[in-house]
Amino acid sequence: MAHQAHSYHMVDPSPWPIFGAASALLTTSGLAMWFHYNSTQLLIMGLTSMLLVMLQWWRDIVRESTFQGHHTLTVQKGLRYGMILFITSEAFFFLGFFWAFFHSSLVPTPELGGQWPPMGVKPLNPLEVPLLNTAILLASGVTVTWAHHSITEGNRKQAIHALTLTILLGFYFTALQATEYYEAPFSIADSVYGSTFFVATGFHGLHVIIGSSFLSTCLLRLIKFHFTSNHHFGFEAAAWYWHFVDVIWLFLYMTIYWWGS
Amino acid sequence: LRQISRRTISTASRRQFENRVPEKQKLFQEDNGIPVHLKGGLMDALLYKVTMGLSVFGTAYVVYELLVASMPKKQK
Repeated sequence: MAHQAHSYHMVDPSPWPIFGAASALLTTSGLAMWFHYNSTQLLIMGLTSMLLVMLQWWRDIVRESTFQGHHTLTVQKGLRYGMILFITSEAFFFLGFFWAFFHSSLVPTPELGGQWPPMGVKPLNPLEVPLLNTAILLASGVTVTWAHHSITEGNRKQAIHALTLTILLGFYFTALQATEYYEAPFSIADSVYGSTFFVATGFHGLHVIIGSSFLSTCLLRLIKFHFTSNHHFGFEAAAWYWHFVDVIWLFLYMTIYWWGS
Repeated sequence: LRQISRRTISTASRRQFENRVPEKQKLFQEDNGIPVHLKGGLMDALLYKVTMGLSVFGTAYVVYELLVASMPKKQK
């Protein structure tokens, strides 16, 4: 059997990239069909195939790393660069929505009554549930760091406890935000206030759900002995993403919830 | 690449979970030429076929719907 003379990972041929592209086509076309022709068939097909591709592609990466040993330090370095670049791109994504918020709120138009919050809009009290949510996410940042330290120290039981607590805090945040959305006296249709509020916090909530899913996958892998005390990049990536989600919330809280009320 | 044997976090806890990683490592390092996305067994092949079916059929369906949507509806 020939062995490679380099430390990079030449992957096996895989169908997931092209199927992923197909699922993106189905999902975007499905959205168009839903918006214009009230038909959800394509959208459902798209989202289902997207889920299938994600599960199998990431399953294969776990196989290539934990079971086949392909993730050398060189490969890991590349993955670290990749995750940092991805998170940076997400930061720019949110930057756009913050720009939109400041565009509308710094110079409120006459249609809004020349004030922010606009005439007739009763904003949420930032010292109530939003403050609790801030505390929850900050605490989850502590628990995920605790989990990381437990992993590097080889303490399996504590790592599992700390990561579980992190995930539970994430679920608690999501549940509270859901009730806030339900109880809010304003909707997305209530002028540009509603648009900026729900689009910015809504995308943030989606990222909390994505982060919680990533952490849950790590918990499963942690329980199944996939991580070693000095090689657990999947967990580190999930922790970076979670800290990013926390930071975005802090900006949301300070600007939209607090300054904007 | 030399096979790297991994030391896991702790010695196997007898209570609940046994460390099955070595078994998986043996399965996925078997020199049988099967690509990683099918190497786990029958379930892999099934999931692959379902995903492929959905993607291929879906793409054809999109092309059809685009053709229909781009044709003017004949009035009267």
